[in-house]
Amino acid sequence: MVEAKLNSPVRQVRQEPQALVVTLAGDVDLHRTPELQQELVRVVERRPRRIVLDLTAVQYMDSSGVASLVKLLSSTRRQNIELKLCGMAPRVKSIFEITRLDTVFDICPALKDALA
Amino acid sequence: MDAASTQSRRLTHLGTRGLDVIRYIGGMALLLQETARAAAGVLASRPHRASAAAHLARQVVRLGIRSVGIVALVQFFVGVILALQMAPPLEPFGYVSMVANIIGVAVFRELGPLISAIVLCGFAGASIAAELGAMVVGEEVEALEAHAISPVRFLILPRLAGTVIAMICLCVVADLAGCLGGYLSSLLVIGPAAHLGYWARIAEQLTVGDFLTGLIKAGVFGLILGLLACFEGLRVRGGAEGVGRATTMTVVYTIISLVLVDCLFTVLFFVCKL
Amino acid sequence: MIDKADSLLDAPVAPAAAAEAPPPAIAVVDLVSVLDGRPVLDGVSFDVPRGKTLVIMGPSGCGKTTLLRHLIGSMRPTRGRVELLGHNLGELAERDLEAVRRRFGILFQSGALFNSMTVAENVALPLREHTRLDAATIDVIVKMKLELVNLRAAANRMPAEISGGMKKRAGLARAIALDPEVLFYDEPSAGLDPVTSAEIDQLIIDLTDKLGVTSVVVTHEMDSAFRVADTMVMLDEGKVLRTGARQEFQLLRDGPPTGDRASDLIRQFLTGSSHGPITDRRLSGGYADDILMAAGRAGRPLWTGWR
Repeated sequence: MVEAKLNSPVRQVRQEPQALVVTLAGDVDLHRTPELQQELVRVVERRPRRIVLDLTAVQYMDSSGVASLVKLLSSTRRQNIELKLCGMAPRVKSIFEITRLDTVFDICPALKDALA
Repeated sequence: MDAASTQSRRLTHLGTRGLDVIRYIGGMALLLQETARAAAGVLASRPHRASAAAHLARQVVRLGIRSVGIVALVQFFVGVILALQMAPPLEPFGYVSMVANIIGVAVFRELGPLISAIVLCGFAGASIAAELGAMVVGEEVEALEAHAISPVRFLILPRLAGTVIAMICLCVVADLAGCLGGYLSSLLVIGPAAHLGYWARIAEQLTVGDFLTGLIKAGVFGLILGLLACFEGLRVRGGAEGVGRATTMTVVYTIISLVLVDCLFTVLFFVCKL
Repeated sequence: MIDKADSLLDAPVAPAAAAEAPPPAIAVVDLVSVLDGRPVLDGVSFDVPRGKTLVIMGPSGCGKTTLLRHLIGSMRPTRGRVELLGHNLGELAERDLEAVRRRFGILFQSGALFNSMTVAENVALPLREHTRLDAATIDVIVKMKLELVNLRAAANRMPAEISGGMKKRAGLARAIALDPEVLFYDEPSAGLDPVTSAEIDQLIIDLTDKLGVTSVVVTHEMDSAFRVADTMVMLDEGKVLRTGARQEFQLLRDGPPTGDRASDLIRQFLTGSSHGPITDRRLSGGYADDILMAAGRAGRPLWTGWR
């Protein structure tokens, strides 16, 4: 279990039997994008079989946040890691819908669906 | 009564025109001041510096490189003309060989910067004015402001710096082309008295001061022509017609102010014996 | 919804109501703008709640464009206030104004793309200028924005090579590049075919509904106005003729003439009729005198010297 730095939106990274669960929290926006991207790179470097991003505690995500997730998806695909997003608030989900990224990402309603 | 009122009307008219001229120059001075401030800002911030360098390079290529051929050609012929015009009056005194000295001074101190500036004004000045004018008409300048991107930093600064740098480089090319023109006409037409030792005499005649005053002039001319073109471009109102007017006025005003400023410089250098 | 409409009807200003409700995204208070000695805007007041869409309409020359310039802070008020996201634009220094400008976007009438850059570069410019994101992230965001306006295929085309509707959509993609909280649209459907115009309207609605963007739309396409508006402002000769909910304007449009001059003027505008107060105003008197005088005037020489 790794507790994250103060400004990073990554609240917690923990290993479950099925996947590495990364919990994000707060606003995922321009000011925190650089930290987010660094942490996500480190998560991928651990080479899990599956990464689950838990977005339940994220109130707001801007384009740069979404773009960071796209970059994550591209690196996980390259390394055959499964990536699932879960627990999106309606406001966050609509950003994915309006840019049609809901068709690109594997989005589950809740954490238990993503771990199934 | 009537005559007096006519006279006062003429005076008013004259005064208004005078004020217009002052306002115009003042406007340009403000633009220059803002550009200087933008330049300072760019130099202070690293990310801006990188993108500004790229913009500047693009402008120097666009404004300068394209005009090299024309400037060299024009200056070459000016050299030819000068040599052929100077030789006959010098001949009775047995000073035909002085053609080289005269060409050296005339080209390096005077004609190099002036003719390059006039050519560049037709080339770059008109194109900058038209380009900026079209951007004003197409709401592009407003769009920049609305995106919190300073048009002065983004548009004016690279163009102004571009014309200054391009002018200084062009001036060197022009100097050489002019002397070469003089040499070739000496070689092919005037005769050995002129062409033997031509380059040595030029080197002997010219001082570093001659070269530098030419370059300083060139830089200032570049600033003037860039500033006028940017100012006219940004002032454009009312569609395509306004753009056309701006390009014409840029060329007209630039040539007038170039010759005026050149005269001032010459007087200054003469008095200071530079 | 009804409550909100009622409070807006109490405009020009309702300070008591404003204190209770969350602060509006935009508040215009008694705005006066004098250009060349002529008042173009004369005591305009209204506000736009967060996440809502306001449509500003009015006959040509009513001051719509000037009002928009004031809202984006490119003109400073002669009197009165324009508050955008809690900042009084008239009092901000240029630097602070730039910070506010990063929080809103504008779709210009022509799209106002930078002609020397490709569509993708246009969208990337605000990101390159105002963020420290790396090139790959910027590219991803640009693709997302272009997908949002259905223009991904034209990413590498130059503005001169695409149609007017595509330019407008590209302009919109650029306007939303930095995820603005407020979006201004200057005549979004002018010069577009009905389908493209409806597409743009749908984008305006989506951005408001899904992302909670506050929108101000200046238009005189009535179909489009009624599609996107939550509230509407009718301007005439620099004054607010009426502010109200969309429904109220709908009633006015569909109802019979009332005899009240303001209502009839709005009604004429909404229905696009060629008879009514707007046209009556343009028919100035003295036509007979004027034309007879022209006929009776002694022939003047065409050439009157150098003056």
